[in-house]
Amino acid sequence: MTKLKLVDVNYTYSEGTPFRKDALRNINIEIEDNCITGLIGHTGCGKSTLVQLLNGLLFPTSGEVMFDGNNIKEKGYDLKTLRHKVGLVFQYPEYQLFEDTVYDDIAFGPKNMGLPKDEIDRRIKEAALFVGLEERYFEVSPFDLSGGQKRRVAIAGIMAMDPDVLILDEPAAGLDPIGREEILGGIYSYQRKRKNAVVIVSHSMEDMARYSDKLIVMNDGEVFMQGNCREVFSETDKLLSVGLDVPQITKFMRALKSKGIDVRTDIFTVDEAKAEILSKMGGCGNA
Amino acid sequence: MLKDITLGQFFPGKSFLHKIDPRTKIISALLYIVAVFLCDSIMSFIILLVATLILIAMSGVPIKIIVKGLKPLIFILAFTTIYNVFFYKGDTPPLVHWKFITIYAEGLVFAVIMALRIICLLAGSSVLMTYTTSPIMLTDGIERLLSPLNKIKAPVHEFAMMMSIALRFIPTLVEETDKIMSAQKARGADFNSGGLIKRARALIPVLVPLFISAFRRASDLAVAMECRCYRGGSGRTRMTKTRFGARDAFLFIAILLLGTAIVLSNIYSYYFPIWLT
Repeated sequence: MTKLKLVDVNYTYSEGTPFRKDALRNINIEIEDNCITGLIGHTGCGKSTLVQLLNGLLFPTSGEVMFDGNNIKEKGYDLKTLRHKVGLVFQYPEYQLFEDTVYDDIAFGPKNMGLPKDEIDRRIKEAALFVGLEERYFEVSPFDLSGGQKRRVAIAGIMAMDPDVLILDEPAAGLDPIGREEILGGIYSYQRKRKNAVVIVSHSMEDMARYSDKLIVMNDGEVFMQGNCREVFSETDKLLSVGLDVPQITKFMRALKSKGIDVRTDIFTVDEAKAEILSKMGGCGNA
Repeated sequence: MLKDITLGQFFPGKSFLHKIDPRTKIISALLYIVAVFLCDSIMSFIILLVATLILIAMSGVPIKIIVKGLKPLIFILAFTTIYNVFFYKGDTPPLVHWKFITIYAEGLVFAVIMALRIICLLAGSSVLMTYTTSPIMLTDGIERLLSPLNKIKAPVHEFAMMMSIALRFIPTLVEETDKIMSAQKARGADFNSGGLIKRARALIPVLVPLFISAFRRASDLAVAMECRCYRGGSGRTRMTKTRFGARDAFLFIAILLLGTAIVLSNIYSYYFPIWLT
């Protein structure tokens, strides 16, 4: 089911001044339930602007943002409730922590929603579990944690609000490979359990190939391509033409093909590649 | 919202005033301010107004921008004008006398003069300094003007460095505040409702991260400066050296002439028709 829908959305910064800049042009996208949507694009292509439109922190210069079929620009629309339902984790969210303890910080969002104490407690424990934060950290000051752990606290803070749509802007930026894996894996298992809508903004094709069901590729303020991973990554040349990358393994399969080995090139995970190569080798061995 | 605040109103350009040495501009601005306060007669105000308009023309800054820069003053202007209109006690019979309200003709004139004085003061001095001098040049100028104080062991260079760093980081901090506010709003924080205490409390989630990041930035910057062998002012050379030239002399003389003209017009005000005094 479609949760969020953007219709002909344009966004211009500093409209009417010499500094005006078109950040988004003609955006038509849908964010669906029970689906991880990957939003990919270069730095400065409008990804971060786009996500702020989704929960009403910014409003489009023209066009509509619909949540559950209602236009959020309409008079009297309850933006506070919208922000409870569309959770947004900003880039480098670890710099927004402010409470005395990790527990209190995760509780900030649910408290603002006016939930009862035991419900807040239940949600905090659940969210902490998803992001892999052990309970022994609950009474620690968030400022004593490492960068990666702070990030988990911040993400858990939004997860505990139990949003219908969870948006994460570069959740794995600046982490080491193990940290990336743990954070993205946590988000993945969270989504699979909740079956809600998750949007992950990233510029890593690798990560997106692994974790997303659907991809929206942005380039220079416009939606460049959208579809499922296979559809998007099979058009390697189109992606490369605007300077975007494809996963390493897709490149590898293309290289194999150009060497004359007849393998499929619409492959974007290592497991799939392994199966494909083994089947081709098996075929050779049998012949 | 926060982005609309203009800080460090520098307006890049290549006008006559832009090219003048920052030191000249600082001293001229001080002289100009003294001149504004010397104005006493209506004639002197006419001279001041003309001079200010000439200064604005020389700066190449559009009038629109200057008017926009004066906007924050509206409240103060309105207050002084209203105050003077209603509370100035003149010698002539009042123009209006109704219940507790008495308005004198002198009060009206004085109110206009005060408003003009404030407008000229701000427009003139900001055209001379902030609009036409980049913050870096400005602190540079201040540092060089104050450099004699080095003799009495005053840390002039350190002071100037602190000022330029502070100026440099204002836009960064404004942007950061904006970002943190958005992030906390996304977590359901509410900054726009409730009483004064509730609103003040709502700022804690913004202020704590902001202070932490400001300290983090400061310590990062200190390390970065030390890595590049910064060790204070002694022996430091400059990339761009400013020199006094013919332009600077011209501006000095022009400002001194303005001052003289104003003083003279005050002294000889009785030579002018009575309504000009």
